Amino acid sequence: MAKKPYRYAVLEAIANEMRANPDMCYFYEYQSPVAVGPTGEILNLAREFGPWRTSGDRGGWALDEAWYVGCATGVAMTGVPVVCELPSMTTTMPLEFVYNQTANMSMMTGGQVSVPVVMWMDGAGRGGGSAQQHSQVGQEALYANIPGLKIVIPSNAYDAAGLMTAAIRDPDPVQFWAYSEVQAGEQPDVPDEPYEVPIGPAVVRQEGTDLTLVSFAPATVDVGKALPDIEAEGISVEYIDPRTLKPLDVDTIAKSVEKTGKMLVVEHGYWTNGFSANIVAEVAQVVDGAILRRITFPDAAGPASGDMIAWMRPDAPKILEAVKKMAAM
Amino acid sequence: MSHQDRPSTKLDRRTFLKLMGASGATAAFVSAVSPLPLGTASAAPPAGPDGVRTGTARDMLKAESPEKLQTMYERMVAARQWEDTLKDLFVGGQDDLYGAFHLYIGEEAVAVGACAALRDDDYIASTHRGHGHLIAKGGNLDEMSAEIYFRETGSNKGFGGSMHITDVSLGIMGTNGILSPQCYLIAGAAYSIKVRGTDQVAVAFIGEGGTNSMYWWSGLRNAVNHELPAVFVVENNLYHISTPSVTTIPGGHPSQLIQGLPISSVIVDGNDVAEVYAATKEAVDKARGGGGPSVIECLTYRWYDHYGFAGAKVGEDGAWGLPYRPDSELQAWIDRDPIPRFRTFLMEEEFFTEADLDTMDAEVQAAVDASIEFARNSPPCNPEDGVLYVYSEGRVPATQFLA
Repeated sequence: MAKKPYRYAVLEAIANEMRANPDMCYFYEYQSPVAVGPTGEILNLAREFGPWRTSGDRGGWALDEAWYVGCATGVAMTGVPVVCELPSMTTTMPLEFVYNQTANMSMMTGGQVSVPVVMWMDGAGRGGGSAQQHSQVGQEALYANIPGLKIVIPSNAYDAAGLMTAAIRDPDPVQFWAYSEVQAGEQPDVPDEPYEVPIGPAVVRQEGTDLTLVSFAPATVDVGKALPDIEAEGISVEYIDPRTLKPLDVDTIAKSVEKTGKMLVVEHGYWTNGFSANIVAEVAQVVDGAILRRITFPDAAGPASGDMIAWMRPDAPKILEAVKKMAAM
Repeated sequence: MSHQDRPSTKLDRRTFLKLMGASGATAAFVSAVSPLPLGTASAAPPAGPDGVRTGTARDMLKAESPEKLQTMYERMVAARQWEDTLKDLFVGGQDDLYGAFHLYIGEEAVAVGACAALRDDDYIASTHRGHGHLIAKGGNLDEMSAEIYFRETGSNKGFGGSMHITDVSLGIMGTNGILSPQCYLIAGAAYSIKVRGTDQVAVAFIGEGGTNSMYWWSGLRNAVNHELPAVFVVENNLYHISTPSVTTIPGGHPSQLIQGLPISSVIVDGNDVAEVYAATKEAVDKARGGGGPSVIECLTYRWYDHYGFAGAKVGEDGAWGLPYRPDSELQAWIDRDPIPRFRTFLMEEEFFTEADLDTMDAEVQAAVDASIEFARNSPPCNPEDGVLYVYSEGRVPATQFLA
């Protein structure tokens, strides 16, 4: 048990499963299969598991990512579990293939086969300088619409390693959204032995009575910064991190909103059909009379200018303002 | 020889239209095919209706056992009769049949010839026109008919219907209504073969229209790059839906368009089961021995419309009067029906007599008829099962009701 970097914890979880499954594969592109642990130990999945189970004999899977996920789907259909990692600006490349093939295969065949593939989607950050194609966030909402997928979105190293293990062991296709912004900064302790964080259950990070605050990576970083200021204002917030978007733990969130009567969802994805919209819709379906609101990145891809994108980002000061407004409602 | 004397491999529009007008698309294709450099399988242009051939393909097929040849013949006949029987039921408005049905009739030599070169543990993936491949790989007619009738006893339990009808336990990576994702699925199966260290192979069936897709190009490039034990069988039936393939594929032949890729690529008469068998066997043996992937383009023709039954009549062969193809062309390809050509081979090589073959025909028809009865008598699907199999376990919420 130790504080481990996010990427190290996830690679360690993958390595553990690859040691237990002699055929299991981990495909990556230019991301490194190497990570250094808290006491200097080096994980090198390419060296440990050889070229065929990791990078293919050419060393690193070349483009394109639709091929990548397609091939992984075929591998998984033969009963070999696969994790394939996609860089953040490519996460929409396989959309068609996932829509009609990966997510659909179990139902098309009437349950004859399942697809044990984990699509590890690196996520970008809403930071300046990268511009519209390299600072997009929220693509999980596009995929969440597709029947047959499960979607997890861990915001710290402990949840990440546990959810990766659960995702690998799950017989169905799971998307694992790993946003860059949650990987920086201090991480919680991560066990050394393999463990699962179950797919589905949300976690109540902080209990409270005045308002339910729901957020998922990467906005959790800004929420974390806002919480002390919210407390200083005398507002008691119950903060829930769903960790899994599909299937969503509506019960936990709804139970909280029954108690507080108010919910604010914060996300860094776009306004229209960002996943926060789904959370509001789910709670509205089962909780009467509550005040339900959300703040998101606007319906505009991030400009290169750091000042512009910072203004557009639902950051800690904007979260504090929103919570204060809602507390007064 | 001056460049003007050298036969052109490019069919310019005026020449194409002239040939189309003069003697139909078939002649155009024969002219296009003949001068092209061809691969290891027989290089001769498509044979005439008598089906008599000499050369390596025929010899390879002759070397097989009578049991195997009987299975091949029976599967070709089963593919024909199962579809033909159902076609009559659909067109005749019987049994309230509905839904997608893409007839493979006319193309049976491709599925059966190719699958005959495979082991039971080899993988295939197929198209929306996938009934023939399922039968060729050993599919069960009862389950197939029950699937078309949307019964619980169907191969896909009524979830897939005609377009996704499959039996994964036979090594079939599904049948696909999207164009050519089979290329990725089969490459994935082939990749898995290398990871697991077996000597299986994986074969994708794709229409020539499917080679216009990104899935074909990226799948091929990666199959070559990783030296995957894969074979890509292109069923070129000359039309994508109603569009002549020459109008979208430069040169008209995917097997030629990819020259430059370091991959074996041949073009064969897809209505000659010996040709298809021989080419596939060579490609499969090469892949199994670590020699990497191959492409086999099979020239063939579907007797019916792309989808459904326009121009079809009960008890009559072929869909006539379709607006996008001349009836003379259809007749020319019916005259090259792969089944009589195989019968001729079997009788000439003295494997079976005509009476033997007629008996097989009757037995297959009896099995087809029995499968229809099985379907009719099977319980229909439970409507509330529609939310099953989205995931391996459980049902998704029935949100069509207000809770």
